[in-house]
Amino acid sequence: MKVGFIGLGRMGQGMARRLLGGGHDLVVFNRTREKTADLANAGARVAASVADACRDREVVISIVADDTAVKEVTLGRGGVKSSLSSGAVHLVMGTHSVATVQMLAAAHAEANQQMVAAPVLGRPDVAAAGQLAIVAAGPGDAIRRCEPLFKVMGRRAFEAGAKAEGAAAIKLSMNFMLGCAIEAMGEAFSLVRKYGVAPHVLYDVMTEGLFAAPAYKIYGKIIVDGNYDTVGFTTLLGLKDINLALAAADQARVPMPSAGVCRDRLLGAAAHGDAERDWSVMAREQARSSGLE
Amino acid sequence: MNVGFVGLGRMGSGMAQRILARGHDLAVYDVMTDRTVELAGAGARAASSIADVCNGRDVVITMLAEDAHVHAVAFGAGGLCESLPAGAVHLAMGTYGIATIRALTAAHAKAGQTLVAAPVLGRPDLAASGQLGIVVAGPADAVARCEPLFQIIGRHTRPAGSEPQAASAIKLANNLVLGCAIEAMGEAFSLVRKYGVEQQVLYDVMTEGLFSAPAYKVYGKIIVDEAYDRAGSTVNLNLKDANLILAAGDIVRVPLPSGNVFRDRILGAIAHGDGEKDVAAIALEQARASGIK
Repeated sequence: MKVGFIGLGRMGQGMARRLLGGGHDLVVFNRTREKTADLANAGARVAASVADACRDREVVISIVADDTAVKEVTLGRGGVKSSLSSGAVHLVMGTHSVATVQMLAAAHAEANQQMVAAPVLGRPDVAAAGQLAIVAAGPGDAIRRCEPLFKVMGRRAFEAGAKAEGAAAIKLSMNFMLGCAIEAMGEAFSLVRKYGVAPHVLYDVMTEGLFAAPAYKIYGKIIVDGNYDTVGFTTLLGLKDINLALAAADQARVPMPSAGVCRDRLLGAAAHGDAERDWSVMAREQARSSGLE
Repeated sequence: MNVGFVGLGRMGSGMAQRILARGHDLAVYDVMTDRTVELAGAGARAASSIADVCNGRDVVITMLAEDAHVHAVAFGAGGLCESLPAGAVHLAMGTYGIATIRALTAAHAKAGQTLVAAPVLGRPDLAASGQLGIVVAGPADAVARCEPLFQIIGRHTRPAGSEPQAASAIKLANNLVLGCAIEAMGEAFSLVRKYGVEQQVLYDVMTEGLFSAPAYKVYGKIIVDEAYDRAGSTVNLNLKDANLILAAGDIVRVPLPSGNVFRDRILGAIAHGDGEKDVAAIALEQARASGIK
């Protein structure tokens, strides 16, 4: 398939390489051109602009850092909307707000193009191994056309319905629930520490039974070890995602008190200088507010 | 071993059956005398009072639903503190509050007896099959004497230290993490529903990856199926637990904002008549608060 790819960050690099390995005809674009070098060596054509990356493509994937970037790439001069062939698909794989996804979907519909939102779950190593979980939403026929791409990038693709923003709602919900799990662990670990119990006892009880899942095993271990400097996902990125969940909740009129608790905890962590630490440092902020640090 | 057992509810009767089947000399007591019939038929001695169930026992287990009950059983006239032989162990296996555990620890010590706290994790079916998780704390020699009983009742036993309150703190902390997980699921399910996404999609994404653990599988399924009437643990019972959790936080000065969100949601559910439904019905209360149905 003729595929364009915009955004070669840590996630995008791995995903683009999988597409190339799957035998697709790939054109790549990145604002910082150096990041295209490895893919060019592996056989991708390097586009000079977003418009160039859209030329004659059946599907153009974007995975860029935030809402501002995806709006610029899509709606700016020479952007995906003005460059993509009629009938082609813009496959939006970044994590964006519900409002932005709705805006982009409307813009593409106006230009007789299709848009599929397909945010991913997993880290760069998972992307490189083609083992991401992909949540896709958009018109059914457009999703069908993207399936061969999902197969090489992902372990599994979930369909979240015909409205693109549905996929954003699922992705934001997952990050929200992870934030809540970390917050709850933070509260629980502070509580047992104040009763003189070694934190690993709670970790063992939790992860042996009801919570024998990666969310609790990975983040619980970081908290028990106090190992917040090995950063997977920072406090500020966590704050960005929780704010996106709260914005989605505002728009749909869903009170989410737990999201408010997470947001405040992340703000407290940032206020105490932990903005660039792993976001599980929320547990240390809880310990601080319990008089433990 | 000469064992006494007080409190033959759904959990207690299964545990007592196991102890009896392994050949221990068992005396049983419950305020509802009909609950002793089955065990008496299987060879247990049905005691006529708390004093009677303590007579000649090495260990007396209590498995009671509320702190008020264990107060009455331990501190009342003819209660455990008066009746238990010197050197014997009160093995407290119910989920009791920190203040109660502290009071029992002091009173038994004064009477030359020992308190061991050993709250259990698991539901009645696991109690009947001897597959409970047990968290135990108390003086090491007393814990060691109870070890043969733990092997019959539980799948594994986690030591939490020499102070009985530590076991209670672990149990309450684990319940806090569970309550927060259910609350977070409720908020997330309401959010995606308002964006027109089938709840099953969030369930699938959630349980396939980060949250592939019993807490999310069991309670997520109840929420998706809206099967709130087959109650495992009711909303009303969880109010009791939430209050014990928050009281534990009060005592050692640990703010628990997620615990408070959980408690308020429980109160809302009860206010809307859902007190005897499964605790997953807090997701129904969240949906109500979001204007769904």
